[in-house]
Amino acid sequence: MSLDDDDIPSLTSHPHSSSITSPSQAPASASSLPPEAAADDLTTEDLMEEEGAASQDFRAFAASLQSQSKSSPQQHRQFRKTAGVSAQTIRKGEKDFESHGLRAQEDALEQSRAAMRDVLSYTRVHPVGPKGAALVRGWYFPAWWEGYSEELQLEEKKEGGGKDGEGRERERKPYGHIRERVVVLEGSSPASHSLGRAVTGQAKDRPARGKDWLLPEEALYLVERGSLDLWWPLKGIEEIFPPEGMTAGKEKEGEEEMEEEDEYEMGFPLSLQAAYALLIGNDGERGKISLQKFQVYSNLKRCGYNVLRAPPVPKQPPPPPTTTPITTTLWQWFTSLLTTSPQQPPYGPLVQPGLYRSYASIYRQMALLPRHKPSTTSTPSTATQQTTTTTTTTTSEPFTIHFHIWKAAQKWTKLRHPPPDFHLAVVDAQQSAVPSLSEISALLAATPLAPGKPEWAGPGRLYARLKHGHRNVLVAVVDHGVINYMRFAEAAFGLEELYARFDAPRGGGGKKGGGGRNGNGNGGRGGRGGRGRGRR
Amino acid sequence: MAETTTLATAHAAGRDANTVAGAASSRSPNNETQPTPAGRASPKPPLSQIYVLPAPIRTFPLPTFYPNNPISLLHLVYAWLCQVFRPPPCEPSVVHVGVWDAETRSVHVRDPTSIRALWEQGFYGKGSLSRSEPNWLKRELARRGSPEGKTVSEARTELRREERRLAKWERAKTELEAIERQRLAEAAARATAAEPNEANGVLDKPVGGSGSLPFLNGAGSSVTEPTLTDATAETAQESSPITETSRLLKLQGSAARCAEGFKAPVGPAELLALPNSLAKPRAKAISSGCLSEPKPPVGPAELLLLPNSPADLALRLVKTSSMRESGERAMGQSTLQAAPEVNGHTADKAAKGKLKTNGVVNDKGHPIKASALAGNQKVGKLSSEGTQPDGVTNGAVSPRSIPSPNGSATEANGLQALKRRKSVRFSPTVESTTFLHSDPPSPNRSANASSKGAVPASSNGQPVKKPVVSSTVSPVVRSASESASGVSLDSPSTPTELENKEHFQLAPEEAFFLVFSLGALRVVDPVTGSPIPTERLLSLFRSYSYFPPRSLGSGLGADDPFLVNYAVYHRFRSLGWVPRHGIKFGVDWILYQRGPVFDHSEFGIMVLPSYSHPAWEEHKHEEPKRSWSWLMGVNRVLSHVLKSLVLVYVDIPPPTVFAEEMQRGGIAAALKKYTIREVIVRRFSVNRNR
Repeated sequence: MSLDDDDIPSLTSHPHSSSITSPSQAPASASSLPPEAAADDLTTEDLMEEEGAASQDFRAFAASLQSQSKSSPQQHRQFRKTAGVSAQTIRKGEKDFESHGLRAQEDALEQSRAAMRDVLSYTRVHPVGPKGAALVRGWYFPAWWEGYSEELQLEEKKEGGGKDGEGRERERKPYGHIRERVVVLEGSSPASHSLGRAVTGQAKDRPARGKDWLLPEEALYLVERGSLDLWWPLKGIEEIFPPEGMTAGKEKEGEEEMEEEDEYEMGFPLSLQAAYALLIGNDGERGKISLQKFQVYSNLKRCGYNVLRAPPVPKQPPPPPTTTPITTTLWQWFTSLLTTSPQQPPYGPLVQPGLYRSYASIYRQMALLPRHKPSTTSTPSTATQQTTTTTTTTTSEPFTIHFHIWKAAQKWTKLRHPPPDFHLAVVDAQQSAVPSLSEISALLAATPLAPGKPEWAGPGRLYARLKHGHRNVLVAVVDHGVINYMRFAEAAFGLEELYARFDAPRGGGGKKGGGGRNGNGNGGRGGRGGRGRGRR
Repeated sequence: MAETTTLATAHAAGRDANTVAGAASSRSPNNETQPTPAGRASPKPPLSQIYVLPAPIRTFPLPTFYPNNPISLLHLVYAWLCQVFRPPPCEPSVVHVGVWDAETRSVHVRDPTSIRALWEQGFYGKGSLSRSEPNWLKRELARRGSPEGKTVSEARTELRREERRLAKWERAKTELEAIERQRLAEAAARATAAEPNEANGVLDKPVGGSGSLPFLNGAGSSVTEPTLTDATAETAQESSPITETSRLLKLQGSAARCAEGFKAPVGPAELLALPNSLAKPRAKAISSGCLSEPKPPVGPAELLLLPNSPADLALRLVKTSSMRESGERAMGQSTLQAAPEVNGHTADKAAKGKLKTNGVVNDKGHPIKASALAGNQKVGKLSSEGTQPDGVTNGAVSPRSIPSPNGSATEANGLQALKRRKSVRFSPTVESTTFLHSDPPSPNRSANASSKGAVPASSNGQPVKKPVVSSTVSPVVRSASESASGVSLDSPSTPTELENKEHFQLAPEEAFFLVFSLGALRVVDPVTGSPIPTERLLSLFRSYSYFPPRSLGSGLGADDPFLVNYAVYHRFRSLGWVPRHGIKFGVDWILYQRGPVFDHSEFGIMVLPSYSHPAWEEHKHEEPKRSWSWLMGVNRVLSHVLKSLVLVYVDIPPPTVFAEEMQRGGIAAALKKYTIREVIVRRFSVNRNR
C-alpha cells in the first residue's frame, strides 16, 4: 500500500500537532514547568538527542510527507527529500512511558502505528528511465586495475604526496585509490559529482576509457540506496566497453542491438546479498572494504557528509628524527638553563622559603614536569617533540586516518575541495581498546594543526580553547553495527598558566586598579583575568 | 520514602500568614530562627575575600608606581623600606602539622586553624564528616537550632533538591490532573452513553462544571459546596463563611471523595503506581456501590468547617460524635473510614483551639513543632486532652495521619489492615520532602505510625467505635511521652558545649604536594610524633598505594600508582588548577579553575599510565587495556554532569632511568622524566555537526 491521500483518512484529520502524548497534557505540563526543571529537561534532551531519533512519531512523518505530496500530486508516490521533512519535524512532543488507560492515548498510539505501517509498506520502486537516469548500471571488474599499481605506482605516489600541499597544487587531482576500484559505471549517476573517479592518462585504445570507476564502498552504498544496478559480466571488458577505436555512433548502435538480442548476454544483475559478498571483505584485501568501514561510510553519507577515502600515509624515511631530536634537546637544554637554573632540592620544598612578590615566581619554581607544546608544523614526525625518543610516529593499523570528511557544501566536488573538516579513523569496539599514548599521539600527529578561533584568546574562553584542542581526530567506534563517534583532541593544559591570574586580583583589590604591578607585557591579560574570575 | 514526601497541594498558598501555617517545615530551626539572626549577624565577608590566597603562601607585592603620580613613588619606597627593615617572616610562614594514618591512608589534621587554612588556601583535603569543606560543626549547630549553619553547602544542596523535588512533583501532579480530567471526560461520555440514569453527582459535577479535578485547589470551592448541601445541610451552612481552614478541609474532603470515587489521591509514589491499577479500583468501586453513594463520607469531613473559637468547641465535639454515629448508621459498610476521619479532624481542631487559648502560636500540622516550642505546656495539654474520649486520639497527631485514602484502598482491596499500601496525601503543610540523615527520628512520626496502624482496623468492616476506643490510650500516651522526651532531648544541648568531632584528611597526593612542593606541611608519625622526612614519606605513600601495602624496599617502581597520580596532581597544581579527587564522578580527578566554592569543575581526568618507552619491553609491567565501553561509560557519566573528559596519559620512564634519576636528584629529578599528554574526549554527534 502506498501513501495515497485517501488511504489514510486518519492522518488528514490529525495534523502535525498530533503526537503520542495526549493533547491536553502537553500544554499543561509545559506551563507548569519551573525554570530549573525546564532547563534540566532541555539538557537531558540535548544529551539524548541521538537516542531520541529512534522514537519517531510516524504520524507526523507521514503527515509531513503527505502535505508535500498534496502540493505535487504527480510525484506523491515518491518520498522526496525536501526541506519539510527532517528529524525536527518528526520528533515532537513528549513520550508517554506507560498506559494511562485513556481512550485518547490508545487512539493516538493506534494511529501512529497505522501510520508507521503505511510508511513501511510503501513499495520502493527503482525508477528505470532512459539511459543516464537515476538508476545506473555498473559492472563488476575486480581485476582490471590490479596491475595499475605496478605501472603507475610512482605517479600515484607523487599524486598522493602532492595532496599534502593543498594550496600549492590545486590543479592536481587528489589521490584516487585507483587500484581499489572495482566497479565501472555505464553512464553517470546523479551521485557522480561526489563518487567515482575516471582514470585519466589512459591510452586511446584502452577499453572503458573515461568511465567512472567506483570504490567498493561507493558501489555498495549506491546499490543499497537503489541508484546502482550492479551486474556481473559474462564477457570481457573489451566487449562491454569497446575502446575508442570505434566511433561513438557505432558503439551505440552495437549496444542497442545487443540489448535487443538478449538482455543477459553480457552479464546478469547481482542481488544486494551478492554485492555485499563481493565488496565486503577484510582489511587489506584489494577491492574490498571491511564491514565496519562500510557502515561508517554509509552512515556518514546518509547524514549528508562528503566522504572520501584518505590517501595512504606517505612512508617518510626517518631523516626528521635525526634532525629534530637535536634541536629539541638543544632547546630543552637552553630553556632548562633559563628557567630551572637553581637546582631543585631532591626532596626538599621546591618553593624556597623567602619573600615573594608574586605567585608567578612561586609557581614557576614548582614546574617540574615537561609541558607538552603542540607543534605548529603539520608534518607528522615533528608533532611529538617531547616524546620523540619514546613514541613511534607512524600510525598503526586500527588507528590511522581512514576517511576524510567534509560537511555538506554546495561547492564540493570529488576533485576540487577544500581541506577536510574532519579526519576519521574506524575501529572495531571488540577488536581494539582505548588507544595507548603512542597510538593516539601518532593518530593526532597525522592530522593537520587545527587551532581554535583566534577570538578565543584571553581568559574568558579558556574552556573553549582547551576543549577544542590543537589537533583533533574523530574515531568511529563500531560495535556490531552501532557506531559511536568520539572526538579526540590534543589539549595543551601546559600552555594555560592559570597562576598568572593569581597576582591580578590582589593588586586590583585596591582602588588603584590591577595590572600595573605585573605590567611586564601581560598586564592586560592578568587584569582581565581578575575581573573575569570575580564575576564568575 | 512515601512518608517523607508528604506534600501540599497548596504549598505556595500555605505560605501566607494564615493559621494554616504551612510554612514551618521539619527543618524548623532554619525557618523559625530566621528572624532572630537578622539583627545581630554581621554580613559575611565575600567569598573572594575568604579564599583570597591561592596557596598557603602569602606574597608581598610592592605597590604600583604611576609616573604621573609622585606620591605613588613615595608609597612604593615606603613599602619597600618597611619590608627591608622589618622583613615579614619567610613564606610559607606557617607549617601545618598532619598525622599519617595508615588505616585510612590519609594524613589527618586536627588543628582548627590549620584546617581552615588548608581549606581556604588552595582547597586541600576534606572534612572527614563532610562532603568536602569541613563544616560538620556548623551543620550540627544548625541542626540544633543555632543560626550559623544556614549557609552550609550541604544544607543548600538539600534545599535545592527539595525545591527541585517539589517542582517535579508539581509537574507530575499537573500531568496527572490532565490525565484525570481526560479520564473523567471519557468516563462521563461512556456513562451518559451507556446508562444515563446511573450518572451521579460526583461523576457529573466535575465534568459539567469547571472541568477540573475535584481535588484541584482552584476548583475546590465550586465542587465542594453542592456536596455539602447534599450531605449535612445545617453544618454546611454554618461552616460556609469560615475561610480560615476551609482550604485544608476542602482538600481533605475532596481527597476523601476522590478516593471514594476513583482512586487514592496522589503523591509521587502513587503517580507511579497509578496507571496499572487503574481498571481495578474503578470496577471495584462500582461493584461496591461507592459511586452510587458518594455523599455520606464527604459530609462529615465538611463538618469540620466549623469555627475555631473555643466557645464552640464543646458543642462541636458533641455534634461531631453524634454526627459520626448517624453517619455510621447511614453509611453502612462502604463508608466506614469516614468516621475516624471525622474524629481526626475535629480532635485536631480541638487541640488547636485549646492551644490557641494558651497563647501559643502553633501550626496545627505539626504538633511536634508545637511541642518543641511550647514545651511542657503542650505536653500537659495533650495529656489532658488524652483523657477525653475518642476525638483526641487522632488529635495528637497531624492531619497527615488521617488515612482517608489508605482506608479506602484497604477497603477496596479487602486486605489486612497492617498491609496497607504506601500512600502520600495532600497535606496543607509542606513539612519537608527530604530529611537529613542526621535528623532525629521524629516522635511525631512514630505517633503517626501507631495511630495509623490503629485506624485502618476500623475500616476493616468492624464496628468503628471499638478500635478507636482501644487505641485511644496508647497513641496519646506515646506521643505525649515522646514529645516530652523530645523536649528533654532538645533543651539541654546548647551550642557552646558542642565538641567538634570532625577531623580533616588530606589525600596522599595532596599531603605530598604540600610537603614536597610548598613546604607548608609537616607529616608526623602517629606513634612517635616525630616528623617523617620527605624521602621516607614518599616511599610510605608509594608502598601504601598498593593493597596490601608493599614493603618499602622491594616491589616499588616507577609506575607506582602514587607516583603516576602524583605526577598528574603536581602538574595541574603547578599550573594553578585545583585538582580534587573525582571518585564521585567516576574519574580519577576533577579540575577546578578556582575552587569548589567558586565554580563547577569543568574537567574530569582519567589517568592512563603509558609504557611507551622501548626499554619497558624488558620489564614486567601491566599495560592497562581499557575497553571502549569503559570509555563511553565514563564519558556518559561526565557529560551528564556537564564536564569534559580528559584522558591524561602519563608516560612513565623506564626503571633504569627512574632509578638513576632518583639516585642523582631525588624525586624532583625523577618527576621530570614523566611526560604527560592530555587528550580531550568528547562524543561527536553526527547529526549536529553537519
